[in-house]
This record gives sequence, C-alpha cells and structure tokens, in this order.
Amino acid sequence: MSSPNKSALPTHILDEIRELPARYPQPRSAVMPALDLAQEELGHLTPEAMSEVAEALSLDPGYVEGVATFYSLFHHQPIGKHRFYVCTNLSCMLRGANEVVDHLKQAIGVERSDQVSSDGLFSFEEVECLGACEYAPMMRLDHRYFYDLNDQKVDALVAERRGKPVVTAEKPKPKRVPRKKPGG
Amino acid sequence: MAELRGSHGDQAHHILTSLFGTPDLHTLSVYESKGGYTALRKALLDMAPADITNEVKTSGLRGRGGAGFATGTKWSFINRDAPGPKYVVVNADESEPGTAKDRYILENCPHMVVEGILIAAYAVGANQAWVYIRGEYDEPSRMLQAAIEEARAKGYVGPKPFGKDFPLDIRLYRGHGAYICGEETALLESLEGKRAQPRSRPPFPAVKGAWGRPTLLNNVETLATVPAIINRGGAEYAKLGTAKNPGTRLLTVSGNVRKPGVYEVEIGKTFRHVIMELAGGPPEGRVVKVFWPGGSSAPVLPGSMLDMTTDAEALAAAKSMGGSGGVIVMDDSHCIVKAAHRLLQFYAHESCGKCTPCRIGQDWAVRTYERILANEGSQVELDILQRVSDGLQNGRCLCGLGDSGGWVIDSTLRHFREEYEDHALRHECRVGTVAPPALRATSPQVGRT
Ligand SMILES: Cc1cc2nc3c(=O)[nH]c(=O)nc-3n(C[C@H](O)[C@H](O)[C@H](O)COP(=O)(O)O)c2cc1C
Ligand code: SF4
Ligand code: FES
Repeated sequence: MSSPNKSALPTHILDEIRELPARYPQPRSAVMPALDLAQEELGHLTPEAMSEVAEALSLDPGYVEGVATFYSLFHHQPIGKHRFYVCTNLSCMLRGANEVVDHLKQAIGVERSDQVSSDGLFSFEEVECLGACEYAPMMRLDHRYFYDLNDQKVDALVAERRGKPVVTAEKPKPKRVPRKKPGG
Repeated sequence: MAELRGSHGDQAHHILTSLFGTPDLHTLSVYESKGGYTALRKALLDMAPADITNEVKTSGLRGRGGAGFATGTKWSFINRDAPGPKYVVVNADESEPGTAKDRYILENCPHMVVEGILIAAYAVGANQAWVYIRGEYDEPSRMLQAAIEEARAKGYVGPKPFGKDFPLDIRLYRGHGAYICGEETALLESLEGKRAQPRSRPPFPAVKGAWGRPTLLNNVETLATVPAIINRGGAEYAKLGTAKNPGTRLLTVSGNVRKPGVYEVEIGKTFRHVIMELAGGPPEGRVVKVFWPGGSSAPVLPGSMLDMTTDAEALAAAKSMGGSGGVIVMDDSHCIVKAAHRLLQFYAHESCGKCTPCRIGQDWAVRTYERILANEGSQVELDILQRVSDGLQNGRCLCGLGDSGGWVIDSTLRHFREEYEDHALRHECRVGTVAPPALRATSPQVGRT
C-alpha cells in the first residue's frame, strides 16, 4: 500500500487510467472504470487515490469524489479481503436472509458494515436485491453469486477462505485473533 | 451455471425460453444451429429499416423494463437520417426488487440479446450500442462479453454483417451499485460518468440521450424478444396475449412459493396460474396473504385477488401495474408492516437525493415505521404515513422512485389497515413477535442524501 512521498497508485495503474478516456465518446465516462482500477489495487478508495485518478483524467478531485461516493460498490474504508454482500431485500428476507446475516456476523466475528475481521480476511454488508431472487436467500462474494444459503453453507464459505478444511459435524468456532491492525 | 429455475424447453407459448436448457446454448455455434441469427440475416438482407420498425409496431410489443411503452413507437421516434452518432443503450441494470429475468436471459442465451441489439441498431441507424449492466452481474457480464466477441469473430458485430454495409459495435458499461441507474435518464448520466441523478424530460432520450445524441433505450427482455418477432412476423406474435398487451413475458416469482423461478407466461393468464400452478403455491399449510404483481414498486394486491390477470389494463384497474414482472409472494406467516418497512428502507437508501419529497419523505417513512414497530406508534404515526405517501406521489417527484415508495405505503395501508392498527394502536402483531427492528448493516450513502 502507500508509503510516504510516493503516490497512492502505482505508475502502471495510472498509465492504464490515462488510456481509458479514449475508449468513450466523451472522456468523462472513464471515471468509473478508473475508480475500479484504483479500488482493485488498493482495496478501497483513499482520498489520495481519488485525487490521483482525478489528475490522471484531468478532472476536479471533488468531482471524482462526488461520483465515487454516489455508488455503493465503491468503498471508502478498508474492507476485508473477502466481502460478503448479503441480499436482505424482501424476497430474500421472506426466506431467511436476516438469519443468514446473524449467523454470518457470528461466523466472521464482525458486527457492522464498516468493520473488518481482526485477521483482515472478512467484512460484510447487507445489500439490496441482487437480481437472483429465485435462489433466495443469496449473496455475492468474490465476484460470484451463492444461492440457497443456510448456516452450513455460510460456515463452509468462511472456512474455505480461512484455508481450513470444512468441518461438517461440528460448527467451526469463529477464530479470535488478538487485536491487531486490520488490513494487509 | 446453477440449476435452472423457471421456464425452459419447447412449449406452445414459449417464445423466449423454448431453447433454454439446451446444452451450451450460450455459444454461437449452438445458438445458430437452433436458428439463431436468422432474424438478423432477414432484417439486414430482406427488410428496410422502416419495415423492421413497422413489424415491431405490428407485434404490439411493449417495453419489459417497467414502464410498458410501445416499443415500435419508441423506435420510430429516432430520426434515422439525422447526421452524427446515434446510440442504442441497453438497460441491463435490473435492480427492481423481485426481478431476475434479465439475468435469466443473459445467462441462458446471451446471443439472443446480441441479435436483438443488432436488429434494433440497424432499424434506428445507430452504429454503437452500449449495454449498461449492473456491477454485481459478474457472470452475466462475462457471458455477454464472450457472446459479443464470438459474434465479432463471425463478422455479425463489425463493419459488414452478412455482407451488408452496416458497421456496428457493442460495448459494455458496468454499473456500481445504485438502483436509480435503472431509470433511463439516470442511467444515461451514469454512462456519461456522472452521479446518477435523473434528468427532467423533455428532451427525451430519442432526441437527446447518451452524450447528447439521439438514443434508443430498451430493456434486455424487450430486445431479446425482437428476433422472435422478426422471425414469426409481428402479426403472428400479436396473436398471443391480449389485444392491448400482446405476447409473452418473463415473470420472476419469488418469496413464499414452493418453486420460485422465472416463468414465461402468455400475458393475460391469471396470477393464480402463475403463483399456484407454475410456482407451486405457498408452503404446506400456508395461504397467499399478499403479492406484488410487478416488482416491489407495483402496489400490492391481497391474496383474495389471485384471479387478477397479468394484463396491464386489468392491473391498472386494480390500482397496480405489471411493472418489471417481479411477482413477490408473501404468505400468512409474515407481517405486512415489517415487509413495508423493509421496502421503505430500500427506497430511502436508493433515493438519489435530487428532489426533496423523495429524499426526506422516504426517510421520514422509515423512521415512522420504526416507531410503530418499536411499539411507540399511535394514530399520529398512521396519519404521518398517509401524508408522506401522498407527498411522494402524483408528480411531486422527478422520477418513479418517489412514487414507488408512496405506493408501498398506500397500497399496504389500503389493503391491510387492520394490521397497521394492530401495531400502531394496540401494539401487537397478529403473525409474529413485536420487536423493534434491528439496525441494518448497509453501506453509508454519504454522497446521495
Ligand atoms: C426507479 C426506476 C428504476 C428502473 N429500473 C429499471 C431497470 O432496472 N431495468 C429496466 O429495464 N428498466 C428500469 N426502469 C424503466 C426505465 O426507466 C425505462 O422505462 C426502460 O428501461 C425502457 O425500456 P423498455 O421500453 O424496453 O421497457 C426503471 C424506472 C424507474 C423509474
Ligand atoms: S424521485 Fe427520488 S430518486 Fe427520483 S429523482 Fe427525485 S430524489 Fe432522485
Ligand atoms: S431480493 Fe434478494 S436477490 Fe432479489
């Protein structure tokens, strides 16, 4: 990540961003694809990163921040390496989405959307309908959809990402690591 | 791909989904072996652009994105001979709660969408098409992109499809998590790299759309239907469905049913057929208490109205609408006040903040519901809900999102006043426990409101 006196975004990302505007009828359309590249690199959008995106696209930093804060897939605080986007809109709620969220919170040891598990691996948020209501309750994780969720499936997804074998007979206890800085 | 839940295979009324379920239908070779791209060939080689638009007019096809506008008429608004760039923009933002049919189409048969786009672009004289697809649709995006690449390699997307001098390119633009981007003018703002706040109309997109240019904007399902219309002929298509609402459409049936899924239904069938037969009805021992006939924005109908038909005219007479075709079913084990509260949280979260009644009103409604659910309600709260609901409707807001929140409040109050009174006046719930709503862990919307 960033270190003093250096830019937040590496040169090759900034170069890539500078090439984006030419792909669109008007250059401004490049702002979201550019923010995507920045977020992919850093995990979330820092003020420095947004300023550098703005500079690379010859836009006002305030403008870029205005766009970045409008859309909920842009994050402005550190998120876990794996973020669970759990749908709790009506069709999913009617099939147990709130219970899935309760279980997930306990499984990853995170209570709120702005927190990250102490090992930096996990965070979550409740999101609106993800357009897969026939598989409710469902969620998005690591650029994939997961369907017909229940406690066991959530446990398995968490365990896989901890790099531990899936325990089926007994629920794996949420790992408690002594507090250290999230991230990394 | 996950197990198919919904219509697939050859049935008399299956127009969109008859090939779904065919192995590897997402590939160009299989799609073509089943008759794919014959409509494009016919359109390019045998039909003048105006004939295509007329055929679509004859079919009576109405937009499947929510507003139900006549598709052929919309196409005819674009001045094909106007100099300079024109665009086709495809609305693949699909974010209306309870709606999954565009994803179903894109995952099963992306080439059908590509073919529809190409025909539409030729009809209106656009040389560039942009598909605005919601950012969460990773798999559908990948599949559509792959289909476009295959069609490009085959020459269907490119300078001379089927030897015809008609250059066209199709590009994807990913959304980033905002329901309002489904509204057509907000979508255009977003495509231009801006905050997605709706524009006032006129000018309409047909005159001044993407990047200020004439733009045809259609929903995924609308365009996916076009190849079938060209193949069969508009008059043949119009034989299905009702006189004012011809054809079939995809209804996403979700919630408390035994077989949730995306079902292709001839317009005019009853919701009893859709919910009780196709989707298997509610779980054992339960009854349908209420359903949303066209996504969460469509005013609710009580279970006693299952014989209502899926036709837009009939739904309008019952003060509801066909909307996005998302049929959300709730059984008698759930509380209507909690359901309405959840949907108002959605509308409050997704309000773009541009107009006051929506920005303030939706949030005010949420807080009022919270008081009611925390047993702090009284007649005052019921009156507030009605007032806020009125304030959101009837043209007081710039776009349909405002009305939608109002309709949830208004329609649930209208059909289930007693349950509201249980909560607000008597502090009891006839189906569940009374407990204050938990705080939701959503993303903060600093930039919107
Ligand atoms: C708040 C709001 C959300 C909408 N969301 C969608 C959507 O997700 N997908 C869609 O196709 N249309 C959506 N629409 C309708 C579009 O504005 C537009 O009418 C439609 O895309 C036009 O295409 P069609 O004529 O093919 O239906 C929405 C409208 C409103 C007011
Ligand atoms: S009604 Fe709501 S969502 Fe629509 S423009 Fe106004 S504030 Fe934005
Ligand atoms: S309500 Fe959860 S995916 Fe639609």
